[in-house]
Amino acid sequence: MEIIFKILAIALITSIASLIVRPVRNDFAVMIALTGGVVILVMVLSYLTGIFDTIKNVIDTTGVSSGLYSLILKIVGIGYLVEFTAGVCSETGNSGLGDKVLLGGKVIIMVMALPIVTSILQIIMEILPK
Amino acid sequence: MGVEIIFKIAGIGILTAVVGQILKQTGKEEISTLATLAGMIVVIVMVLGLIGDLFTTLKTLFSF
Repeated sequence: MEIIFKILAIALITSIASLIVRPVRNDFAVMIALTGGVVILVMVLSYLTGIFDTIKNVIDTTGVSSGLYSLILKIVGIGYLVEFTAGVCSETGNSGLGDKVLLGGKVIIMVMALPIVTSILQIIMEILPK
Repeated sequence: MGVEIIFKIAGIGILTAVVGQILKQTGKEEISTLATLAGMIVVIVMVLGLIGDLFTTLKTLFSF
């Protein structure tokens, strides 16, 4: 629970450090901000494993095909990566590029999510009385 | 892993800026650009190492 304070502290320290360095060396400020982002992301990663275990249990109990679990994992991973890259792009000033990366990520996730939607629909069709 | 790397990069940034200024004042412009470039490269290598670690942990975690 206390990790949230660590994250806030690191974010504040990073922004202050990049503020100090900005007038002296502008590109270093961007580097510092980027490093802070990476550090926070790595800290958050360890909490994702817990979430995935619960998702796996839910999927095992509901009898949905286990292939969906790895698909969900991949989708979350792609979302994570796209978010990070878009952040880096907008951090270095070209936010247009970041938006395009976000668009690409959305399209890829949509394509990967289709089998999940279809399998859920099949389950619903089975439940509905003919 | 955390705050100290941020301070390290901030320190390198300020150091290269100061060294660059000093060299520029003493009239050695080309060396000061080289020094600034060297500082920049050191920082980039560190940040790239960090991002490399992030991507490997992501790959293992999300079983890509």
